[in-house]
Amino acid sequence: MNTEELMESLKKVVKPYVKSEEGFKNITASSDLINDLKINSANLIDVILDIENEFDIVIDNASMEKMLTVGSAIDIITTKLNEK
Amino acid sequence: MRGNDIVDMATAALESNWKRKGFLEKIFTPQEQQYIKRAASPGEMVWKLWSMKEAAYKVYTRQFGGRFFAPLRSSCTITTESNDSVAIGNIIYQTRTTFTEDYIYSVAKPVAAKDSFIADHCFRIPVSAQTKQQEFIYKELIARYSELTGNKKNGLAIIKNEFGVPFLYCNKERSAIPISITHHGHYAAFTIN
Repeated sequence: MNTEELMESLKKVVKPYVKSEEGFKNITASSDLINDLKINSANLIDVILDIENEFDIVIDNASMEKMLTVGSAIDIITTKLNEK
Repeated sequence: MRGNDIVDMATAALESNWKRKGFLEKIFTPQEQQYIKRAASPGEMVWKLWSMKEAAYKVYTRQFGGRFFAPLRSSCTITTESNDSVAIGNIIYQTRTTFTEDYIYSVAKPVAAKDSFIADHCFRIPVSAQTKQQEFIYKELIARYSELTGNKKNGLAIIKNEFGVPFLYCNKERSAIPISITHHGHYAAFTIN
């Protein structure tokens, strides 16, 4: 899966939790999940669980700590997919 | 310095399913999971512990800077209602949690802190649009600060820094008085101290 395809899959995963349509419309790798997309912090757990299910990977605590932007999420998914 | 966090119970019920597989394990330590298991109302305990962690995290990042998403780095100890605490590494925060039918609200402060405490205010937001809600909260805070300090309202503003931490500005100068704002669903709260 290339970065573009990853981005599309990730957009599908985060969409139900996004509270800012504006943020979602202008989504880029640097979009902040909380400050730009306005995902509430409890729903970040849902995003992480949905990513685990979607990509069949396990996101450990150290990776979770860094998951603050769309780009960092893509990096983490890429790393975990490569480890498989 | 204080940190606060509010959970709108109706919004939480609608938007979060804490019973979903893997959810509790990503957030709560084994001890915290025990608190939830043994609680008369497990759902209330979930959101009490969550708000304690979030409130403590806010003080921690104001003290030491940075940002991270690591609910398991903080661990809650529940004793009596007025003596709960959260540890993040070696740092201990005292927390106080308020329950109503509509929300659960926690405030955290460093155990050793003797800071002067001006205001702690919880309220319902009568509007739904997200930008309108923020406007309403900021107006409330500015009105209360103005009332308490005698500063004129039109010289006051709230501006967030790069990490999303809000600061009060008086006539374009950053005030030394820390504020903490929390908002979830139709409820919000702020502290000024």
